[in-house]
Amino acid sequence: MSKKHNLGVAAGLLAATILSAGCQSQAQDSDAVQAPMFEVDPLWPKPLPNHWVLGSAIGVTVDSEDHVWIVHRGNGNLRTELGASTDPPTGECCIPAPNVLEFDQEGNLLTSWGGPGDGYDWPESNHGITADHLDNLWIGGNGGNDAHLLKFAQDGTFLMQIGRPGANTGSHDTQNFGRVAKIAFDVSANEAYIADGYGNKRVAVIDMDTGEFKRYWGAYGNEPDDTDIGRYNPDDPPAQQFRNPVHCAEPSNDGFVYVCDRPNDRVQVFRTDGAFVQELFVATQTLGDGSTWDIAFSRDPEQRYIYLADGKNMKIYVIERATMEILTSFGDGGRQPGQFFAVHSIATDSDGNIYTTETYEGKRVQKFVYKGLGPVTDENQGVVWPRRGR
Amino acid sequence: MSRRLVVAWTAGLLFLAPSTSPAHEIPSDITVQAFVKPEGQRLRFLVRIPLRAMRDMEFPLRGPGYLDIGRADAELRNAAMLWIGNEVRLYEDGTRLATPKILAARVSIPSDRSFQNFERALEHVAGPRLPDHTSLYWEHAMLDVLFEYPIRSDQSEFAIDPGLERLALRVATVLRFFPPDGTVRAYQYAGDPGIVTLDPRWHQAALRFVVLGFDHILDGFDHLLFLLCLVIPFRRFRSLVLIVTAFTVAHSITLIASAFDLVPNMLWFPPLVETLIAASIVYMALENIVGANLRRRWMITFGFGLVHGFGFSFALRETLQFGGSHLLASLVSFNIGVELGQLFALALLIPALELLRRFVLKERERIGMIVLSALVAHTGWHWMADRASVLRQYQVHWPAVNVGMLVTAVVWIVAIAGMGWLAFRWLRHLTEPSAAAEVVAQASN
Repeated sequence: MSKKHNLGVAAGLLAATILSAGCQSQAQDSDAVQAPMFEVDPLWPKPLPNHWVLGSAIGVTVDSEDHVWIVHRGNGNLRTELGASTDPPTGECCIPAPNVLEFDQEGNLLTSWGGPGDGYDWPESNHGITADHLDNLWIGGNGGNDAHLLKFAQDGTFLMQIGRPGANTGSHDTQNFGRVAKIAFDVSANEAYIADGYGNKRVAVIDMDTGEFKRYWGAYGNEPDDTDIGRYNPDDPPAQQFRNPVHCAEPSNDGFVYVCDRPNDRVQVFRTDGAFVQELFVATQTLGDGSTWDIAFSRDPEQRYIYLADGKNMKIYVIERATMEILTSFGDGGRQPGQFFAVHSIATDSDGNIYTTETYEGKRVQKFVYKGLGPVTDENQGVVWPRRGR
Repeated sequence: MSRRLVVAWTAGLLFLAPSTSPAHEIPSDITVQAFVKPEGQRLRFLVRIPLRAMRDMEFPLRGPGYLDIGRADAELRNAAMLWIGNEVRLYEDGTRLATPKILAARVSIPSDRSFQNFERALEHVAGPRLPDHTSLYWEHAMLDVLFEYPIRSDQSEFAIDPGLERLALRVATVLRFFPPDGTVRAYQYAGDPGIVTLDPRWHQAALRFVVLGFDHILDGFDHLLFLLCLVIPFRRFRSLVLIVTAFTVAHSITLIASAFDLVPNMLWFPPLVETLIAASIVYMALENIVGANLRRRWMITFGFGLVHGFGFSFALRETLQFGGSHLLASLVSFNIGVELGQLFALALLIPALELLRRFVLKERERIGMIVLSALVAHTGWHWMADRASVLRQYQVHWPAVNVGMLVTAVVWIVAIAGMGWLAFRWLRHLTEPSAAAEVVAQASN
């Protein structure tokens, strides 16, 4: 074999390998709008042990060690797959997993607990889970009688209950809540913000240690009014009250509170005293469940981006917080990794990764790996499958 | 029931709760953050460990399990000495330092970030403790401890044998050492790293990396398979000198380049290199099948050696931290270890092939070598396909081209070409007769 032939074969083999690997050069477009990019991790989490399966996964949070906690509804609507847990068993599988599960960043299941116990009232329908700065876990509930919230240690030890089941008297009740959707925290003020909720039409603020009510407000900072205002109609003027459910109330690092007014298809922004600042309407033709389900902030100190879960339109919006402009979105409806069935809750870890849970028949938790900032080329990126040129 | 009643009822439960921490299982995984700083005639060891890793202690509790911070100091110090001070072994010039004294011990909340640098951590650990009323569940707390060891001089050579791997099933440690010259040595390891010389002398680093290099080549099945492909057509050890040296020079170039961060720092680069390493095996095996031009083999070997050097660098990346300031000595030592490993492998392979030829294949040598190469190609092909599928998962963005990058690229091309040419001229001079003779011999088969 000649020298030329030898080198030619080598070059050809290298070129073929590179081509087969699908590498491609993409010139960076410095003028393009940049946004955080994600890819689903289809192998996260790892399979659960003990024939366990999830019910509607109704909350997700990340603690100080970047461990991921979810809460789900064990056997509430698991259909026919609980053959191993019926009496008598009708099959070899399956069994509802405990309501609260902890995973590490690699998707290993670490801890599990949850359900009724001594000393507290487990919600009729648990809803939302959030870790505070002390790594305690706060859980709400949207069952018909759920008017309380619970605080647990990470090992499942009950720490505190605020409110009493069945005792809610409406959006001016300062002892109980109206079917709490989610809890979030302003650690600097030692305050918890309650998205209240499926029964009440308000944001409530309480002391984190004592549970004492400090203030509450409705849409546009108005006094909340529980009068039924009917169904959402996109052609009507914006409603002056929240519609149920008020699904998130997230304080930012710089003194604003972002509230998911879910059926009204909007996120309203307030100061921490309840003064209205602005609002963002999202997919306003969305009826029924609405488009604004839950938000999480990017983990940079400025919290530059908001990730908004839209369980009706099956996608995650990436929003620039300073301008409240939607930069792009990803996701689509479906059963495969990266697709959604009613993406309900969203959280971020310190590496910038996103975790989501899905309710109704979604019944799963997914991880979307942060891939850095990238140029925005599509209004909706579709399924962010981990593959070049997806 | 009013909220006040609920709170009172909860308080009643709290009163009935146990007042000390219960026995508990070993944690699944924890992260240890530590600083070591010799200064004058004292060495400060500042460490943060989750309190839940302190087993069999009886921390005073209140309520449902909140740490009773006002009464916890004594037991915190007991835990610190029992699980940390007595376990960590620090050495000054090879002599174990005496048991340290605790200058400060406190608990912190899990979201506290003061251990991101030494000064903040030092200020934090010496600062006021958390308010006594803080509702901190004891297993969520972090234990921060400042130990002090008397030393003869901060110029001494210090080593640490952490001994903290028993604290959990998986213990990840981030350790930073501050020698008096103002630099910082950062170490990150999982489990038990053994004795780590914190600012090693060159010969200590060298020995560690020679062993590492030797182990790596023998553990790296793909490198061994590539070596096998190289030697299949050769009969004499001496004939291989040119080939093996080309491989060595080439992988040394890229290994050193990687250590000095002169390679793409892209997520897709390692899988690309792994794919190309598999491709190098396939190519060499195919060349053996179709008939290699042995006199020119050094050239393609040199090219593939560049790729393998990147592969070696990935193995070295996690451990180069243990070389301290002796980056070059560590690299050279690693390379020496790799060469020794190669020679060891060749010393086994060549006689084995010769025995195969002489007693098994006999006059069917050519067929035998083709079958052997085909088997290797088959394995390499599967590796290449698997690794390419991993590579395809990455979005490849080439860095923007600028003048600086072009200059760097030209410098590297010239340097590689120059070193390759020099090596070729020298080795050709040494080996030309034997290689030529072998080619003649092969042609006559």
